[in-house]
Amino acid sequence: MTSRSKKIVFGVWNNQVLDNRNGLEKKDLFSSIADLHEFEPGNRITAIMGWDGFFVFDPDADVLDMVRSYMEVVQSESCGKCVPCQMGTKVAADILCSIADGNGREDDIVKLKQLCTVVKNGSMCELGHTSMNALSNFLKYYRDDLYKTVTTGKRHPRKTYHTKVTAPCIEACPERLDIPRYIHDIKTGRYRDSLSVIQEKNPLASVCGRVCVRFCEFSCRRGKLDDPVDIKHLKRFASDMEMDAAVKQQDLKVHLAPDAKRVAIIGAGPAGITAAYHLLLKGHHADIFEMMDEPGGWAAFGIPDYRLPREVLRSEAQLIQDMGAAIHYNQQLGRDFDLQTLRERGYEAIFIAIGCRLGAPMRIEGEEDQPAGYYHGVDFLKCVNRNEPIEIGDKIIVVGGGNVAMDCARSALRMGAGEVHLVYRRTRNEMPADYLEINEAEEEGVQYHFLTNPSRLIITDKVVTGVECITMEPGEPDESGRRRPVPVQGSEHIIDCDMVVPAIGQKVDLSSIGTESGLQTTQWDTIDADHETLQTGVDWIFAGGDCVTGPATLIEAMSAGFRVSNSIDQYFKEGIVTLTEDERMSFILRAVNKIDTDTLDRLGSGIDRITIPTRAVEERIDDFEEVEACICPEDALIEADRCLRCYRILTVATEI
Amino acid sequence: MKQELHTFTLTINGQTVDAAKGRTLLTVARENNIHIPTLCYHEKLRPLGSCRLCIVEVEGTPTPVSACTTPARPGMQVHTHTEFIENLRRETLKLIFLRHPLNCSACEINGYCQLQDLAHEYDISHVDLHSCGMKDLHFNSEPYCTPLITYHPRRCILCGRCAQACIEITEVGAINYKGRGAEAVIAPIKTSYTDPTKCVSCGECMAACPVHALTETMTPGKIKPWKTDRVRTTCTYCGCGCQIELNVMDNSVIGVTPADGGVNRGALCGKGRFGYGFINHTDRLTSPLIRTDGELKEVSWDTALDYIADQLVHILDTHGPDSIGGLSSARCTNEENYLFQKFMRSVIGTNNVDHCARL
Repeated sequence: MTSRSKKIVFGVWNNQVLDNRNGLEKKDLFSSIADLHEFEPGNRITAIMGWDGFFVFDPDADVLDMVRSYMEVVQSESCGKCVPCQMGTKVAADILCSIADGNGREDDIVKLKQLCTVVKNGSMCELGHTSMNALSNFLKYYRDDLYKTVTTGKRHPRKTYHTKVTAPCIEACPERLDIPRYIHDIKTGRYRDSLSVIQEKNPLASVCGRVCVRFCEFSCRRGKLDDPVDIKHLKRFASDMEMDAAVKQQDLKVHLAPDAKRVAIIGAGPAGITAAYHLLLKGHHADIFEMMDEPGGWAAFGIPDYRLPREVLRSEAQLIQDMGAAIHYNQQLGRDFDLQTLRERGYEAIFIAIGCRLGAPMRIEGEEDQPAGYYHGVDFLKCVNRNEPIEIGDKIIVVGGGNVAMDCARSALRMGAGEVHLVYRRTRNEMPADYLEINEAEEEGVQYHFLTNPSRLIITDKVVTGVECITMEPGEPDESGRRRPVPVQGSEHIIDCDMVVPAIGQKVDLSSIGTESGLQTTQWDTIDADHETLQTGVDWIFAGGDCVTGPATLIEAMSAGFRVSNSIDQYFKEGIVTLTEDERMSFILRAVNKIDTDTLDRLGSGIDRITIPTRAVEERIDDFEEVEACICPEDALIEADRCLRCYRILTVATEI
Repeated sequence: MKQELHTFTLTINGQTVDAAKGRTLLTVARENNIHIPTLCYHEKLRPLGSCRLCIVEVEGTPTPVSACTTPARPGMQVHTHTEFIENLRRETLKLIFLRHPLNCSACEINGYCQLQDLAHEYDISHVDLHSCGMKDLHFNSEPYCTPLITYHPRRCILCGRCAQACIEITEVGAINYKGRGAEAVIAPIKTSYTDPTKCVSCGECMAACPVHALTETMTPGKIKPWKTDRVRTTCTYCGCGCQIELNVMDNSVIGVTPADGGVNRGALCGKGRFGYGFINHTDRLTSPLIRTDGELKEVSWDTALDYIADQLVHILDTHGPDSIGGLSSARCTNEENYLFQKFMRSVIGTNNVDHCARL
């Protein structure tokens, strides 16, 4: 323990202080910070400064210069609306600048102290509330050093720091969208700018605005006051307002250098489209090979039109084609080409984003016979979404508790099923599906059977006529923290049905990859790739999205697309792939977050979360038109106003 | 009875006061004659909470909150004038004056300025501002969204009232904050890829500005508010009948401000607010003209009216009432237009009457 804390020379956070400058204190504080060592191989961290305090690892680190730099970042992030933050941080930055230049005066220190009070207590948003903490701690604990600088006129030369401006919602988003910024642009009526902020990272703004699982909202600090900000619908608002104009009016064509390298992307799903978008922006050719005849991958075939209309997806996929990406349809890996032939055709890197397109079986008796009336969830949704003929039963059982199960159940109702029963082996609270979906499906008439698990298919003349189910009860907690359900002996009962749709998981189609490429697979039957850089064992092949992580979310696949564009770019330029600066900063940020006790010190302003205009059940149940409508500008303004702008700034000083 | 259900009590500075549900701390304080200084607050607009002068302490909340945006809740204990709060307000005001020049004698609203009043209330002088070794601020000089108004970024205190007025009163949203930190400005919005600007030149932004950072580009000469008379009249541009005050200095009209009350409730359109140049214009007809021998000659009103009456009677006698038609002006008031059609129908005896707004 002591060897660990020895590394921190001085640390202050959450009003806790660890001061080892004059001998060793016997405190075990900030252990997650003490574990930090190098920023990148061979480059030690000398100091970290953040929204509540700072940590110094190297006694020679120039904390004064760091505070100055920190204050300048605050000033460049201040929205300009409230006086204390807008002008106060500017004055503080200027004073610190003149002190660092050797022109400090003693009354400057008094002035700085005053500014700390004004900005901390007077400002409106979280940026202002936290901006002065580092400075006031510096004034308190580095007072002698500061006086020495002021009296001797010692100059502190400017250094460069690694800086990250983030917020809890940004960190929660796999793609790290600058959420407070695009919300702020909506608030000031600049919808176009708002969409530009989203499109810096995310080419599928309208799609995300409709079907994202909203990791951001679950970490929104407004939720601690009343309800989280409705980030998803604000994103949809900005993109719906501007998408047409953005696609039609802009000259999107990216002009590539004649010797630009060529990348083949396999799969036109969210990961593939995002990768193509960012690769083009980075100056590389991107060609997508898609086995179906429609862009979007699982977003197109797995998400029903009532949640995500096809035209929305098509128009956004058109965006990357307008930029210069080519999508080759009906080209299946393993059937029409393989990895080696792509290499021979001049593609210097390949990104595999084939997703999980096969349904996982329930492993129960009767299943292997593939009786009539038995459809995998993935196949069922594909048929529905492609308008392929499918015989819908009168009483349907959907098995599973995820979003795919929800989509199957709600689509079945819309296809004319009389009754839809959803069988799930855990309880309602443990369902992985979005709670809004669970509620909406219930409104539409889906009947839930919780703590129930299928044990056998009842088949009469090769046709499903029922499912034998067994009642479950919660047992010991498993590694996910949820209680593992165990069957209740003798509780078998039969639910009659004429169609059963298992939606309990998906698998990667590993057969298409072939063996000669040398790709490794994992024990979970996914492609083995580095989880940070997405590079596989074969250096020119990258893989990401569901085919690496197993079935996950749209936004995670998109973040893989974004991530791989950095990796491939670096691979082309440097031959090796390492972490980006932003990822290294995220790593440090997570360590800081571990010791941060996050308290929200304000009254809620009393404005409730807006309600989303939704079509009535009786109106929506018979068709595949969108259930939710776009919010109106007035509501968008009110909702955008609820954002607390919890910006956090983190600066890291390193040896080099 | 119903009213009482929605009222509750809270204490402000130790005094127990009644408050109705949905009221903010600021309104409750004002109802009880407790003065809280404000700058960005405007009765007609949604509270903005940007100037941070109305901050108050609420027990149980570690940092002060703005009174204009915080709803009153039962049992709250609010302190509006502690030494700490007053000091914060004074320091905040000083920060405002780091941007806004304390050069009131050259300002056209000298003596009629909220910010000047606050400087007076909190004893802020040039001396206070010397200690900050601030570097110069540089503002980007983008033209404002209408040529009728000039924006002075240095005077602007970024309270946001102009932008809010544009959104709420005119329902346009043509301007808003742009830029970051101390060098932020109010700038036109290009909301979409297709619209260049949505500004309708109504001037509501200018009217909402508390510090004269938005001024009329075409104002003739230097205005001294204390030498200006205000003459209440009705706007002549259309039949709405907006109530306005002509600002008159040295017997010439130098501006138009909306009068409180009236159908317009203190709002005006671009024509009513800016279109007064004709009043003192040299080309304006100020007396009637009669064409004799192919030339227009100035005559007195009596002569002109006699001439019109004679001619109307002559035509009426010779050709009958339906040979006369009347066309009145959209720039008369509703009452005048009413009188005109009454005249045509009952004095002349014809229905041939129309109005230029339909042409």
